[in-house]
Amino acid sequence: MHELVNTRHNLQIDPHLHIWGWEIGVYLFLGGLVAGMMIISGFFIFTGRTKNTKCSCFLIPIIALIAISLGMLSLFLDLEHKLYVWRMYLTFQWTSPMSWGAWILLLVYPVLIVNVLLKLPEELYGNFPHLRKISEYLNSSHSILQTIGMISMIIGASLGMYTGVLLSALGARPLWNSSMLWILFLTSGLSSAAAFIHLVAREEEERRMLAKADNSFLIFEFVVIMLLLVGFLTSDQVHIEAVKLLLSGEYSAIFWVFVVSLGIVIPLIIQLMAVNNKIRHTVIAPIMVMLGGLILRFVIVSAGQASHWSGQVFR
Amino acid sequence: MSEKLVKTPKPYMNPYLAGLGLGLVLLMSYVIMGRGLGASGAFSTATAVAINSVAPAHATGNNFYSEYLGDGQQSPLKDWLVFEVLGVLVGGFISGMFAGRVKKSIEKGPRIANSKRLIFAVFGGMLMGFGAKLARGCTSGQALTGGAILNLGSWAFMMCVFGGAYMFAYFMRRQWL
Amino acid sequence: MMPYFKFDYFGSDTGLFFAFIIGIGFGWFLERAGFGTAKKLAAQFYFKDLTVFKVMFTAIVTAMLGIYFLSVFGFMDISELSVTTTYIVPQIVGGLMLGVGFVIGGYCPGTSVVACSTGKIDAVFFLIGVFLGIFIFAELYPLIENFSNSTNMGKVTMPAFFNIPYGIIVFLVVLMALGGFAGAEWAEKKFGYKKVEVINED
Repeated sequence: MHELVNTRHNLQIDPHLHIWGWEIGVYLFLGGLVAGMMIISGFFIFTGRTKNTKCSCFLIPIIALIAISLGMLSLFLDLEHKLYVWRMYLTFQWTSPMSWGAWILLLVYPVLIVNVLLKLPEELYGNFPHLRKISEYLNSSHSILQTIGMISMIIGASLGMYTGVLLSALGARPLWNSSMLWILFLTSGLSSAAAFIHLVAREEEERRMLAKADNSFLIFEFVVIMLLLVGFLTSDQVHIEAVKLLLSGEYSAIFWVFVVSLGIVIPLIIQLMAVNNKIRHTVIAPIMVMLGGLILRFVIVSAGQASHWSGQVFR
Repeated sequence: MSEKLVKTPKPYMNPYLAGLGLGLVLLMSYVIMGRGLGASGAFSTATAVAINSVAPAHATGNNFYSEYLGDGQQSPLKDWLVFEVLGVLVGGFISGMFAGRVKKSIEKGPRIANSKRLIFAVFGGMLMGFGAKLARGCTSGQALTGGAILNLGSWAFMMCVFGGAYMFAYFMRRQWL
Repeated sequence: MMPYFKFDYFGSDTGLFFAFIIGIGFGWFLERAGFGTAKKLAAQFYFKDLTVFKVMFTAIVTAMLGIYFLSVFGFMDISELSVTTTYIVPQIVGGLMLGVGFVIGGYCPGTSVVACSTGKIDAVFFLIGVFLGIFIFAELYPLIENFSNSTNMGKVTMPAFFNIPYGIIVFLVVLMALGGFAGAEWAEKKFGYKKVEVINED
């Protein structure tokens, strides 16, 4: 915490930042995935899909709870002083995205739990009759459901944006210094989530809809990446040097092959064929999308740490 | 709707046209990179990396592995052939997908059992892997690539591949015919 | 000046991206030609279907002519192309092993990748075999290192070895390929699959 609040004023920031390992990448990916899940599942609830008992909006919040907990765990593993984690919650620094994030994450849990309570397995209702009453209340009126859906979408979107803002607020790294970053992470979270729900959804109609949605997200993500790169290239020398890490430098092969080609373009081709009934839906494209999203976080986190204001690159 | 998806695979491309395409890809590789295509080199890198992660001391002590592991400056998997073979995997899949040929199956003649075919496949693969390392390349890395720039060893190698296969084909006829 | 990489038009990291794109093209045409199935590949060795020969030689001739003309017209520096060193005896032995392995296993390393991607189980087993073969080679390497590095002839091409001008060799290879194609068409008519079926019906 401390080193990131007082950007640059410590040994771990200059000459190069080397404090973030795989944990942050995993956390950002899972955060984005959960954000996307909340938005999609919130949208399903908002549009009244809960009438269908097979709706994936009953399953997704449970998975999201597990995923966000795993994400928090990896974030916790990254902390230097693990025992002081509670101190985050004694304060609210409105200028610090870290602080915002800590509180958004805290809001994610109750929202997801309310989502889960919409429908529970019959065995649980048998043992705890009160739970059935809660579920019945939540399902009793259209406006309650709409409110739940709306809140899920808002909290999900905040979570998704925050994962990007977290990086771009750290002024010390030119590669993270883009206002496109949060859009990229939000879109990538949405595409990963759509891919994931596509895998677990039980309704044929829902799966088709998600595949179509995923295609739009992927196209949008591709455009955002291009805009991000163009934005850097038309900026000053420091940012041009930073983005060269992705364009021709050390990270370019991984970025263009694993993130852009294998994570966006090729799954898009496969899913476009599937949506147009040329081929069957398979698990290949969704898995590629999710892996691409994960590698995107790794590349951005680690290339960002290597970029520097002096225009040099540190390894 | 699902019946509509079961389609008969499209016929293969005219061999001369496919050869022309393949030749242009090879030419592109030479024009852009100054080197040709390959496959077995990527598997050697993968083997070396795998052995290195299990037994690092053993791998660095072996001249063969250490050659593929490089100088340790960057990951040995950041290798031209590794990325090329990744592309082959994707290109093959996309082509098969467009033509409706992606299907789980075991390719063999009608007179051989599946299990026998798979044993033969492993055994043939072993011979290939060993031979390719001895010859410094396989049919793509040596015959095709070296053939196009008239490399002497490549042409000798190519003749031997065809020669060896034709000589041994008789003994394998039950597998394919 | 071609080849671009050797003249520093871009770095090795960008080269990896080109490797991926070129690999896609390679895999695409291998699959298009039908090299994703062992049956079609093996049929070559029973004169049933000579696609392997036709595709391979068309590809070699195409690339060879391309390189030749690019260098004749001064677009490409042919001396910058990477040539593998010739170790003639190990390569002959290796070639024979590959040939036998080809007809037993049904694939070569490159085509087995394509076959794997289109779901051929036998290709997956073949690929496991390739890894095993490389592993065995590597473990035996201290014993066979001397043989493997014997008869080193250096980086030698046919024009240099036979002392015949490059263009003449190119011409001869084209002639040989054309003759081979004619032979292949004839052989397919004589031994090809359709004929066999007719004979079986008789």
